[in-house]
Amino acid sequence: MKRFSWKLPVWLTDYLGMAGALAILLAVFGFTAENFFSRSTFLIIADQVPDITILAVGMTFVLIIAGIDLSVGSVMGLSGTVVGALLVNAGQPVWLAVMAGVVVGFGCGLLNGLVTVRWSLPSFIVTLGMMEIARGAALRVTQSRTIYIPGYLDFITETRLLGISLPFLLAVGIVLLAQLVLSRTVFGRYMVAVGTNEEAVRLSGINPRPIKLVVFALSGLLAGLASIIQTARYQANPNNGQGVELQVIAAVVIGGTSLMGGRGSVISTFFGVLIISVLETGLAQANAQESTKRLITGAVIVAAVILDYYRQRIRHGKAG
Amino acid sequence: MVAQTFVQDFIEFITKGIQMMETKRSRLPAAGILFLGLMLGIPACARKTPSGPDKPVLALVMKSLANEFFKTMEEGARQHHQERASQYDLKVVGIKNEEDVSQQIKYVETLIAQKVDAIVIAPSDSKALVKVCKQAMEAGIVVVNIDNKLDAEVLASNGIKIPFVGPDNRKGARLAGDYLARRLQAGDAVAIIEGVPNAFNGIQRKLGFEEAMKASGMNIVSSQSGYWETAKANQVAAAILTSHPALKAILCANDSMALGAMAAVKAAGKTSDVHIVGFDNIEAVQTLLREGRILATVDQHGDKLAIYGIEYALDILKGQTTPADKETPVDLITAETLR
Amino acid sequence: MNQIRPVILELRGIGKSFGPVRAVDAVVLRLQGGQVHALVGENGAGKSTLSKIMAGMLAPDGGQMMLDAKPYAPSNRNEAEQSGIRIVTQEFNLISTLTVAENIFFNDLPRSCGVIRYSTLNEKASRLLQQIGLDFIHPTSRAGDLPVGSQQLVEIASGLSRQCRLLILDEPTASLTDKETELLFSQIKALCRQGAAVVYISHRMEEIRRIADVVTILRDGRVVCTDTMDSLTTGEIVNRMVGRDWSDEYRRTTPETGPVALRVEHLSVGKKVRDISFVAHRGEILGFAGLMGAGRTEAMRAIFGADPIDSGRIYLHGSQRPSRIASPKDAVRHGIALLTENRKEEGLLLIKSIRSNCTLASMEKFSTAGYVRSAREKKHVGGLADRLRLRCWNTEQAAWELSGGNQQKLVVAKWLSTECDILIFDEPTRGIDVGAKFELYHLLSDLARRQKAILVVSSDLKELMLLCDRIAVMSAGRLVEVFDRKPFDEAAINRAAFREYVHPVHSQEHERNA
Repeated sequence: MKRFSWKLPVWLTDYLGMAGALAILLAVFGFTAENFFSRSTFLIIADQVPDITILAVGMTFVLIIAGIDLSVGSVMGLSGTVVGALLVNAGQPVWLAVMAGVVVGFGCGLLNGLVTVRWSLPSFIVTLGMMEIARGAALRVTQSRTIYIPGYLDFITETRLLGISLPFLLAVGIVLLAQLVLSRTVFGRYMVAVGTNEEAVRLSGINPRPIKLVVFALSGLLAGLASIIQTARYQANPNNGQGVELQVIAAVVIGGTSLMGGRGSVISTFFGVLIISVLETGLAQANAQESTKRLITGAVIVAAVILDYYRQRIRHGKAG
Repeated sequence: MVAQTFVQDFIEFITKGIQMMETKRSRLPAAGILFLGLMLGIPACARKTPSGPDKPVLALVMKSLANEFFKTMEEGARQHHQERASQYDLKVVGIKNEEDVSQQIKYVETLIAQKVDAIVIAPSDSKALVKVCKQAMEAGIVVVNIDNKLDAEVLASNGIKIPFVGPDNRKGARLAGDYLARRLQAGDAVAIIEGVPNAFNGIQRKLGFEEAMKASGMNIVSSQSGYWETAKANQVAAAILTSHPALKAILCANDSMALGAMAAVKAAGKTSDVHIVGFDNIEAVQTLLREGRILATVDQHGDKLAIYGIEYALDILKGQTTPADKETPVDLITAETLR
Repeated sequence: MNQIRPVILELRGIGKSFGPVRAVDAVVLRLQGGQVHALVGENGAGKSTLSKIMAGMLAPDGGQMMLDAKPYAPSNRNEAEQSGIRIVTQEFNLISTLTVAENIFFNDLPRSCGVIRYSTLNEKASRLLQQIGLDFIHPTSRAGDLPVGSQQLVEIASGLSRQCRLLILDEPTASLTDKETELLFSQIKALCRQGAAVVYISHRMEEIRRIADVVTILRDGRVVCTDTMDSLTTGEIVNRMVGRDWSDEYRRTTPETGPVALRVEHLSVGKKVRDISFVAHRGEILGFAGLMGAGRTEAMRAIFGADPIDSGRIYLHGSQRPSRIASPKDAVRHGIALLTENRKEEGLLLIKSIRSNCTLASMEKFSTAGYVRSAREKKHVGGLADRLRLRCWNTEQAAWELSGGNQQKLVVAKWLSTECDILIFDEPTRGIDVGAKFELYHLLSDLARRQKAILVVSSDLKELMLLCDRIAVMSAGRLVEVFDRKPFDEAAINRAAFREYVHPVHSQEHERNA
């Protein structure tokens, strides 16, 4: 009964693999794009990723419990319009508007969770419904018009600590906290277990329903939080976040989280977000054609998933 | 508005059905009734609106009503109708997604079946909608094209003429570009952020920008699509600003993208160095124009665009005019004009 | 049993590695027509790997196979089936949403212009099921709705339905009743008479002794010996399989029965469980015997709160007040544990580590304010793995990498971590090899000695008679009799198991009294 630890190498292969892929991407753009290795490139990426990262954290949790949340983009759009409408149309104070935005996101997520859990419905269809509902509500709130927010939220994008913007710090903080929750808490353990085999969890005397509910509510809450950052940068446009859910799912899956549930890492998700963001920024800087951009982005997503397949094989060594 | 009240009744009926399903223990019959209602209700909804003997029915077929521009257009049309309710009846349909061509074709087919008198259409695709418009004309319906001009070649090959009532996007973009050029020096680096790659008006605007820039000797260093979206435009603008630090101006094919470009310029700390030009004159940019953070935009009078089309269609119906293209005004909007 | 039968399939030095593990090594095998060839060995000895290679489900990385003296290298299961080699595996291949008939003829559905002719299909299936004595299974019922044993029979039926030269049966009787096993054996014999070869993999020595002509013993991927069945005693076979002597056979020592741990009164669940009452004591192993579908599993699940009950009371730990058990969560809080018959589907997180499986039901003990105390957890799991003699590299290994017996031990470890007092085992030795079986018996016995109350449901009456202090017999949903060890009367238990099926009148009387 010999025991030896091979835990460290697994962690290393996980993160080194992702970091390696990112490094290759950076190197390629370093050669092909003008002024790629500059402070401003990295500041741009740091500006681009926070909202997507925050959504991706929620999505990682949802995928881990073997669910999916297609409503994050719309919910983010809705929360943003609520913030905008309260600030500009209703003249409410900033703190109240921000709180309301987050609460609206949380409410949408909670509703997703309640419906999914209460009637044991597939989250795909429930959140697809919410995607439409939230978008409709966003259009209703704004009468389909972009609300310009004069300066109220500038402190969010303009506060910098050691040159790093507040949203980026917030996103990194959320990533670290979420990873801690996932790998070091009972709740994280239960999430993984529910995603692996819900029936086995139930028969182990743990009620899986509250766990699922909390995860969906959390995804909504994070969408609400992301909307504050989006709105501060892009104003309250009811069409904000359209199609973002797919981008977020792509980033999470590139990070090695399984769509079948039970497996995932928030840190890897963050790498996935960075890879997509570097790719998009790099392609734009290289002045690539629209068709080229899409071809390359698609190919990278598929390649990343294939890479993950082999990483899993190496980790498990032998076959079943 | 008989149609509208009927729709309301129908919605109420469905809601009652759902409530029944929730309260009654036997769900099946309720579900059955609901289904039956749906089956009966859909064709009933599609029934032709009864109208006076000489009151024509006009249909306004829009693109996405989630888009601010078309929403404004629709509101303008409704207002116009309210003031002249005795002259004509109005139906407005809009598709959900701007690229959902097939949905728009289906709407036109339905309108043909309903035997409306005139269709005023903002086609989601300048080629794909030609055929169904031809069908409408063959059914004796007056068709007027607004916003996005149907492709001349395809129209010719189908042997039909459909009057286009609308602004010249290219001219508008040229106006904004020329205004910008006066603030720049020949040889300055500029970038264009385009709309969705295959959109007619997007292409026209891009061409107008290009003409103006070339005419004044500017150097277009990059021209990429921002897909009409703020976030996407922000990303592209930020990347271009990095790869071309000497950039002096960004010309955006709509105002939503101008907002994104503005955020990128601000993040790069170049607010005073880089000029931004937009298009559409949406509400949100007006403050920015006054503050000088956006240099210029173009107003094609979206609220009136549909009205032009409707009035033109009415004229044709009354036999007051023969179908021909009609250009509507485009105006340059700057801090000065707003004052 | 003469030797002039034709060789159908010959294996010449077949080998197969999974990573560093040599699962099968230089195996030589000659399978003759008209013979039943038994493959025996402990789990992990290479039996399943070998049969998968023959059936085209795995490619060997060494050696050669000859089918009718011609090289045979199927690249997938379909190709092997076209060559007339079929396999029925331990894992069900039934598609649970399709009907029995659709499953049986899945690869060969009768159709015209691509449309399935259901009348022909169901007729064919019905005829086949009748032919092999499975007329109680309706061809149009959904496979997933059948009890486990019937699913297995359908699986075998679909193997028998097609023209076949070599049929490989991997643990076919694991969940069959005696009657069903008889049906299977008569089919195997019929197949042999037609000149086909049969490879029969099983842990059950008496079955092998009855059905097999030749036996090949495997250990650690190698052939230990191949011999005719007559020339080996069961003891010799077992010794060669495990490579050590099994003379210290398990014996249950007289128990010191403690106070009442569980008292069930008038428990009913639909039509499956009808008004059962019994008592289980601490330190006692109480067995539940009965035919398939007698309601034992249903009763256990109801006690555990996994399925809702219709009526009845459950009293725990000698209390006079009934306990409310509405969910497994309640049951666990009351110190009850259920080890289900499908440990892979319902007991384990297969892709997760031994460590997280082990502490899943008892996280609150290894955490402070929701934060996992890894060091405490690792220490606990390591200690428990040693105590239960769990065979693994380390506790970070995934559960699916363990053999059946060790997986079962892991489920036990999970429940021991909760410090439960009442452990319910449903078919604990299903699919587990001989060596591990005895180890598990010792473990159960040891748990009883530690004053746990143990309930065991098993289809193997010999096992129950070996293991238990008392055996409760269920028949058609009723608990008909409880037998004491003095010693057990096998015939009487069997008679009891059939009682409710033979005299349903009894049940009506019973209902009137109740």
